[in-house]
Amino acid sequence: MLLALVAAHLVLACALPAVAARSTRAAFGLAAVLPAVTLVWAAAMAPAVLGGAAVEENLAWAPALHLTFDVRLDALALVMIVLVSGVGAVILAYSAFYFGRRSPDASRTSALLLFFAGAMLGLVVADDLLTLYVFWELTSIASFLLVGQSGLHRANRRAAVQALLVTVFGGLSMLLGFVLVGESAGTYRISAIVASPPTGGAVTAGIVLILLGVLTKSAQAPFHPWLPAAMAAPTPVSGYLHAASMVKAGVFLVARLSPAFASSAEWWLPLVVLGLATMLIGGWRALGATDLKRLLAFGTVSQLGFLMVLFAVGGRLAAVAGAALLLAHGLFKATLFLVVGTVDKVTGTREIGALSGLGRAMPGLAAASALAAASMAGIPPLLGFVAKEAAFEAFLLEGGLRGGVVEVGLVAGSVLTVAYSARFLWGAFATKPGVDPVTPAPASPGLTVPLWITSLAGLVLGLVAPVAAVLAEAYGDTLPARTAEEAGYHLALWHGFNLALGLSAVALAGGLLLHTGRDRVAALTRRLHHRVSAQRGYELVVSGLERLAVLVTGRLQVGSLPVYLATVLLMVIALPGIGLVLGWAWPADVPVVHEWIQIPLGIVVVAAALAMVRARRRFTAVLLVGAVGYGIGGLFIVDGAPDLALAQFLVETLALVAFVFVLRRLPAHFTERRRPRRAIQVRKGVLAAIAGITVGVFGIVLSGARTAPATASEEFVRLAPETGATNIISAILVDFRALDTVGEITVLLVAASGTASLVLATRHDRRRRGKVRASGSGTPAHEKEVSG
Amino acid sequence: MSAEDTRVPWPRWDSPTEDWMLPGDCPVTSERTLLLELAARILFPAVLVFSLYLLLVGHYGPGGGFSGGLVAGLAFVLRHIAGGSSEGAEIGARIRVRPPVVVGVGLCVAVVTALVPAAFGAPVLSSTKVSVHVPLLGEFEIVSSLALDVGVYLLIVGVVLDLLRSLGSGIERDALDAESEAAS
Amino acid sequence: MTTVSLAMAVVVAALYAVGFYLLLQRSLMRVLLGVVVLGHGANLLLQLTGGPPARPPILGGSAEGSAPLADPLPQALALTAVVITFAMTTYLLALGYRSWVLVGHDEVQDDLEDRRIARRRTPTASMGEEADEQGDEVGVDPGSAAASGDPVGDRS
Repeated sequence: MLLALVAAHLVLACALPAVAARSTRAAFGLAAVLPAVTLVWAAAMAPAVLGGAAVEENLAWAPALHLTFDVRLDALALVMIVLVSGVGAVILAYSAFYFGRRSPDASRTSALLLFFAGAMLGLVVADDLLTLYVFWELTSIASFLLVGQSGLHRANRRAAVQALLVTVFGGLSMLLGFVLVGESAGTYRISAIVASPPTGGAVTAGIVLILLGVLTKSAQAPFHPWLPAAMAAPTPVSGYLHAASMVKAGVFLVARLSPAFASSAEWWLPLVVLGLATMLIGGWRALGATDLKRLLAFGTVSQLGFLMVLFAVGGRLAAVAGAALLLAHGLFKATLFLVVGTVDKVTGTREIGALSGLGRAMPGLAAASALAAASMAGIPPLLGFVAKEAAFEAFLLEGGLRGGVVEVGLVAGSVLTVAYSARFLWGAFATKPGVDPVTPAPASPGLTVPLWITSLAGLVLGLVAPVAAVLAEAYGDTLPARTAEEAGYHLALWHGFNLALGLSAVALAGGLLLHTGRDRVAALTRRLHHRVSAQRGYELVVSGLERLAVLVTGRLQVGSLPVYLATVLLMVIALPGIGLVLGWAWPADVPVVHEWIQIPLGIVVVAAALAMVRARRRFTAVLLVGAVGYGIGGLFIVDGAPDLALAQFLVETLALVAFVFVLRRLPAHFTERRRPRRAIQVRKGVLAAIAGITVGVFGIVLSGARTAPATASEEFVRLAPETGATNIISAILVDFRALDTVGEITVLLVAASGTASLVLATRHDRRRRGKVRASGSGTPAHEKEVSG
Repeated sequence: MSAEDTRVPWPRWDSPTEDWMLPGDCPVTSERTLLLELAARILFPAVLVFSLYLLLVGHYGPGGGFSGGLVAGLAFVLRHIAGGSSEGAEIGARIRVRPPVVVGVGLCVAVVTALVPAAFGAPVLSSTKVSVHVPLLGEFEIVSSLALDVGVYLLIVGVVLDLLRSLGSGIERDALDAESEAAS
Repeated sequence: MTTVSLAMAVVVAALYAVGFYLLLQRSLMRVLLGVVVLGHGANLLLQLTGGPPARPPILGGSAEGSAPLADPLPQALALTAVVITFAMTTYLLALGYRSWVLVGHDEVQDDLEDRRIARRRTPTASMGEEADEQGDEVGVDPGSAAASGDPVGDRS
């Protein structure tokens, strides 16, 4: 059923453009149905899964290579399905009203969103490392296409390319890491790897590579700039991809593999360090953003850092907190993005400096976004608060150096989070002195109802904490708990007056304080930003690569045919030549000549060939080629090949005739428009001479290396009388290797028709003043003439 | 008519003006040589018979479809050079034959020969010996791969004819066109 | 196994050298002559791999069983190669002729696009920092609602 659902997403996505041609709203509505169905089905499966029996399916698509599509529905996958399918259905329903009737992007966006939903679904249920990788890259591609939109605006193109380059670079490293880990473990099944994790040097390297993939996908420092840049996509797309699901893939992978690797320092150390750094950087940058969407983007970056830290350490409580925060973040971020979309649609702007009085004009919208922002800031009784409490408690219980450092970092990050949540609410809805209040256009219910769903979900799940607790703890129980206290912790709104509550209060107070001094803080952010920036680093790397590419191409692809041929020739000499030098064995007795008559014939051939090089008239060169051909024919006779010699003489004569026919029209001398420099000719001559000598040496050495007699020829000689032939050559040509003969005459046919076509086109060329203006080949009269 | 009018000036004693040498029209009367035309007329049938001999003897001695076809082609080349080159005086002017058709027929014969054994249940391209009893001459054993040789022969003759038509007549015609254009 | 004799190796080497040299020239006719000579050298080498000169491979000759037969397989292969080289020769001739008719000469030209790339330092449509210098497109912010068609107050 799982695989069928994934496949259904992908297939329906291909069919959507046809529906969208009729009605964009219907297309989005249809697209929203599948994720909703998936959510319902997952909810139906939930009791069994949470009871401990995971649902599994396999599909062997290349049994000989042991490649299978393995999927597995367990607790973590359930949490992600709520986000991918649940939030996805909501966003798709919202998009039906966001995209205008006549929008040219709607059909493409609807199909790609559904495709993306299917790919993401496959990613979260994949139990096989390679299956996961396939869906990982499918989401990257879908993201590229969605951010790129129609490709008309440079901002879209650059953002799409940046996202693609960064995530695919990480994805390829991750694939290599998967291969290393999978080969070390002997299996690619994730559940098996988690059950018995492999160790070793290869695994360490594999882990580092996997981390590279995770960090790029989840926009951690220093790879984070692609996420704010990807805000060039339409707002629902940003909400789905870059807040609720795609960027969660990296965090999800960390959550999947932490049970196996969390004990190794190479796993948790980079993740914790970079996660904390990202949380702080993201929060700081969000305080300086003036575009609401960019603010949310940096906020997402920061929250992803938080999630990364929680999942990386691999303790039960941290994992529970992480799963709960995963859920909460998806819900509140989606709400906030949809709010921004609605604000943009009704007022036409997203700039903080231009919006004023919106809270009074649209109180419902303000209330919904206040709920979501409160969840983000960690205010009770919302789900975000429950999750954050658990997170603080986790590191308080852990203690030690790591626990202490992480706790401090988390609190600082939370301060920033509260501050930018307040900034969002103030920026969108507050009445600002000195700014004209905006008059929003009336919004259709389709733009407001969906975001209430996710907003209220955050409230309900916070109030009824056991629901989220069941999900999160089902995942958390797969990880070891260090102390009994940790093992007995359950998610709830109230744990009594403890340190964690105090830290939350500190964070809240600090954040609000920071918000009161918002102007100074924003100015400070802008001053500190320009000097050193990860975006600038990305641009430097990309332009450096491009310059390198142009340099290499300019050096290697000079565009001149003689140079290319000379390069090929050099390689032909060099590579086998190395083998020759290394395994050189000059044969013992090399006769000077077998038959004395070969000497004068050989002299004729060589002399004619050498003279041809110096010939200035075309006709002379052709005659010398004829001489070479006849000499070779003579050598064939001496060698005992009468059939071959006959063919050689006849063919040579015909070739001469053909040459003469064409030479009648060409100028008598070889004309060169640019006289070639003597130095170049000498170099060509030297190269050709070396090549010729190499071939001659090869002929002697290789023929001497063969010791066994030729078996195929013996077979032919023995079997020839059965065909009724005494001429063995004929037997070979028309009996044993008759297929080669049929192929050969086909080649003749093709060449003859090509020749006729080329030459007879001249009559149909359109000329003016003697010069050909348009080629006559291909005209009906020409075709008729060629076929006779 | 006085005797002077009927006498051909001596520089042109051996330029033929009649068209009894080559069958068909010979509109180009400027560059003709008696010796070459006579030789072509005598040699042409002989060379064709020799090419047929090469075709038939190929299985038992040097020869075969390739050599036979090439020799036949050379016969046509000789004729073309001797004068049957401009338009209207094409090779075989009595019998209008289109070179691409000859090529196609040759290839068809070869492919049919290749596929016929499949109809009898044998693998493709097998050969068999057929005994033919000719009343006065006795038993003949012909190998079926002779048909493949015949196909090759026809194809090569057709290819050479096509070359003569394109590289020979085609280029000459272009030269004449260019000259007349330059003159006009 | 007797090897190729020195004299024949010299002949083959000379043919290959001449063939390669002509192949590297600019005039298409010269290239064609190089191909033909190279073909001859290759056929000769192919035939020589069959061994030293021996009796023609025809059964039932007068001196039955006296001298060994020449190796028939390389001969058959070389025969095929000879015919195919002829086909290629006529085709290249037609190409040279056509080139002469269309352009006035039969030389192979340098590729213009490759030359153009070799002269630049950065590619067109760069995605790196140079992108900013190429002038900005003024217009709609692509991520906004206005870009997604019918903004403000679409009730229909």
